[in-house]
Amino acid sequence: MRTGPPHWAEALLRLFLKREVFATVSGDLLEQYRDSIHPARGRLRADQWYLTQVSGFVLRGARLWAALFAAAYVARTALDWLRPTTDFHARSEVSTALAAGILLVSGFWTAWRSGSFAAGAAVGLVTTAIAAVLSIGGVALLLAIWHDPATMTAIRGSGNLQESLVLPTFLILPGMLIAGVGGVAGATAKRLLRPV
Amino acid sequence: MADVLGTFEQAVLLATIRLADKAYGRAILREIETRLGREVAPGAVHATLERLEDKGLLKSHLGAGTPIRAGRPRRYYQVQSKGVAALNDARATVEDLWRGLRWPLKGYV
Repeated sequence: MRTGPPHWAEALLRLFLKREVFATVSGDLLEQYRDSIHPARGRLRADQWYLTQVSGFVLRGARLWAALFAAAYVARTALDWLRPTTDFHARSEVSTALAAGILLVSGFWTAWRSGSFAAGAAVGLVTTAIAAVLSIGGVALLLAIWHDPATMTAIRGSGNLQESLVLPTFLILPGMLIAGVGGVAGATAKRLLRPV
Repeated sequence: MADVLGTFEQAVLLATIRLADKAYGRAILREIETRLGREVAPGAVHATLERLEDKGLLKSHLGAGTPIRAGRPRRYYQVQSKGVAALNDARATVEDLWRGLRWPLKGYV
């Protein structure tokens, strides 16, 4: 019979913490789970409590990258709406490179800290999921501020409103893959550069 | 000038001082919860401990694990002179702000 939290939740926690921090933090959580939360609340609620704590660590690990990613997306959208163009090629190259760069660095950094190959993909998934919510909110805010006829024409010319609102959710899977590549590089670098 | 501390940072440093050589993450969390009278997220305590250690207000060392922790080590914290100076500054600032006023405040609104 299991006397601790779900193993997969501990594995998730491991991905988002520095290697040297994981043992002490997970030990503190396990101690609290076993000596007070589980006896007082029972297995199901204790597991829920543990998942909530792990979510806190996961969100802390991804929030900066998600904010940067969403800011880049909303800035690009604002540029297309407020400074319309017919040649989107240069803008697309810059914004794609910026988004990929943010995801690569997030994956590299998280995997470097934890030493885990899977950390990059995990932070990419969480980052792009949070960024999708922030981006959709940001686009809605832009629309609430600027909805004059000239801006509405520019919106139609840049791929219409639906694209601006739906695209962030389509970026979750590729974002996970790109950050995963950064993660493999980060974990590999950590192994290669580890002091002997 | 010493570092400017937020309320939660002060709570963490004061709990560490109170617990002396028994100040590890879980014990600090419990001490803060008792003092504040509310539940506190372990992640918030750990993030604050890490930040205070990075700023040189705390230092830590690893201790032995226990069976309830599945043998995982405890990290014990000690407040450094920079931390004491920051706490003294925080207290002095609050006292300066309150000087001349009677607590609890009455009759101002």
